[in-house]
Amino acid sequence: MSNSSHATSLVGTRWVELGLAGFTLLIGAVVMFGSIEQGIGWGDAGPEPGYFPFYIGLLLAAASVANGVLTFLRWKPLSISFVSRGEFRQVLSVFIPIALFVCAMPFTGIYLASAVFIAWFMWRDKVRAKPYGVIMIGAVSLGAVLASFLIFDLWFKVPLDAGPLGDLIAMAGRSLK
Amino acid sequence: MSEFDSLLQGMNLILTPGHIGLMVIGVLLGILVGVLPGLGAPNGVALLLPLTFTMSPVSAIILLSCMYWGALFGGSITSILFNIPGEPSSVATTFDGYPMAREGRAAEALTAAFSSALIGALAGVLLLTFLSTRIAAFAMTFSSPEFFAVYLLAFCTFIGMSKNPPLKTVVAMMIGFAMAAVGMDTVSGNLRLTFDQPALMTGISFEVAVIGLFGIGEILCTVEEGLVFRGEHARITPMVILRTWAKLPRYWFTILRSTVVGCWMGVTPGGPTAASFMSYSIARRFSKNRDNFGKGEIEGVIAPETADHAAGTSALLPMLTLGIPGSATAAVMLGGLMIWGLHPGPTLFAEQHDFVWGLIASMYLGNVVSLLVVLATVPLFASILRIPFSIIAPIIIMVCAIGAYSVHNSMFDVMLMLGFGALGYLFKKLGYPIAPLVLAAVLGDKAEDAFRQSMLFSDGQLGIFWSNPLVGSLTTAALLMLFWPLISGGIKAAFGWRNRHAIKPKTL
Repeated sequence: MSNSSHATSLVGTRWVELGLAGFTLLIGAVVMFGSIEQGIGWGDAGPEPGYFPFYIGLLLAAASVANGVLTFLRWKPLSISFVSRGEFRQVLSVFIPIALFVCAMPFTGIYLASAVFIAWFMWRDKVRAKPYGVIMIGAVSLGAVLASFLIFDLWFKVPLDAGPLGDLIAMAGRSLK
Repeated sequence: MSEFDSLLQGMNLILTPGHIGLMVIGVLLGILVGVLPGLGAPNGVALLLPLTFTMSPVSAIILLSCMYWGALFGGSITSILFNIPGEPSSVATTFDGYPMAREGRAAEALTAAFSSALIGALAGVLLLTFLSTRIAAFAMTFSSPEFFAVYLLAFCTFIGMSKNPPLKTVVAMMIGFAMAAVGMDTVSGNLRLTFDQPALMTGISFEVAVIGLFGIGEILCTVEEGLVFRGEHARITPMVILRTWAKLPRYWFTILRSTVVGCWMGVTPGGPTAASFMSYSIARRFSKNRDNFGKGEIEGVIAPETADHAAGTSALLPMLTLGIPGSATAAVMLGGLMIWGLHPGPTLFAEQHDFVWGLIASMYLGNVVSLLVVLATVPLFASILRIPFSIIAPIIIMVCAIGAYSVHNSMFDVMLMLGFGALGYLFKKLGYPIAPLVLAAVLGDKAEDAFRQSMLFSDGQLGIFWSNPLVGSLTTAALLMLFWPLISGGIKAAFGWRNRHAIKPKTL
């Protein structure tokens, strides 16, 4: 380990196990609740809409509780580190940009967000001995965006949300014609 | 033979320049997703699905299935050259493939892997050719209780046979079922589990889940492990190919055994991953060169690869005849079939004769095309892995986001993909399997319909699942599978066998 903070554990596996079991239990509860709203009994036309999902929710909740209990039973062996600080920082350094990218998309459209996202990712890469030049960054990010426009929008006729900027360009294009 | 006639008809249908071109494109895209970290066959197919909506079903299935074959082949490239399994099902190939590459025998390992893969795949297609009509004809007699029992058997096999903890498999599966239930109820037309959120009215698409769980989740796991690609170089010359081919007949028994294991695991929902592991461990146990396994034994490459591809192709047998996919990728393809307006199951063989036989014929040709393409393009795809992560990762993420968006043209789906990505990361790290979730999300509605129909027939009595010998034995088999870990444990305890196998470390 190069750095002491890289090796220290951030959280024990047991807590993550418990957290995930709690989360799936919550989903199970929500599913059961939603099913009860729809009726889980026997109506005039046979089983009501909530009949099947209710048991799905019940099974999900029961299995989650059992997973939680199993975690308690294996409390000691599960004290091993789930992720170290250094590793988690690495994961976050990718996850947070993805989250920002996804959240920006509805406002900027897919193309602009993607281009900025790729460019930022390349610019931030400090591991390399020599950072990428502006031309390289521009070429890759714009190239990727252009390729996706050609493939999706033009060839396969799957329109992608271009955002306000894209709409503006499209409008300008139409008025030129 | 009527199968033979149908096959010729199918060949006739697909032997057009357009379809062969689609095959090559599919295979190339497949190798690409197989090679790239974070993309694999299931989400590659999911990403490509929206692009197929405008195609004819035959062209679309050729593209998607060839992508599947390509991905299976591509997975072995990274396993052998980089010791990074591009696909979970090629993990077992790394055990001996990478040591061979380190010894400078990369080309030999690759040729052996691809060639045995082709043999396995062709065996799977042969099985499909000659069994599918019979199974479909048999399944024509099924009614709702039988169908539900078959679904039950598939799901219970997953729980009982999985390497993952059974309860975690149940959780993953039930989340899939819950996802399938969101949105419009197919019987009553009521909106279920939407909690008045307009974004949930169309339901949660399995494609978005697949892209998030497999794609984003995989990227996050890769980042955590720290990405160091130290690959071996390989140049495949005709000489090496011929020399390796000359060696292959010596391993005919390994190939035969691996084919049987693969076909079995593909037809039952064990899937290619389980098949390749099982085949590898059997080969190691019975090989003369047992001690050389793990150090670069060619038999250790042949065994998992043959089984992997045999399972991959034969997974389409239950998918086409019963509507039950044998692997996660087959599940996504099944979802595609439904989107194209086809009804997977026995009626497919009667109503969509051209489609079915076009697909089967394309499987013969597609796998041969895959072998040729993959042999020719190994250096190209190996160099793709040498592209820095900071370029390839954001592009993969962009493709995932576009793929999720284009399912319903909805930004909400992209958010959902992010959520599934985080879930996929946790699932992978804690040993929750992802394939059952996908399977349940695709099949949920059909399983529910079969169950509700059965309940209508019987007025709510569960006894209908034992009402005749066929459905009774299916249901009983399902329950046996479900409790298999307990049963086998009981048998072992009763005979005083000690479980000598230490718990193996978790694999992908």
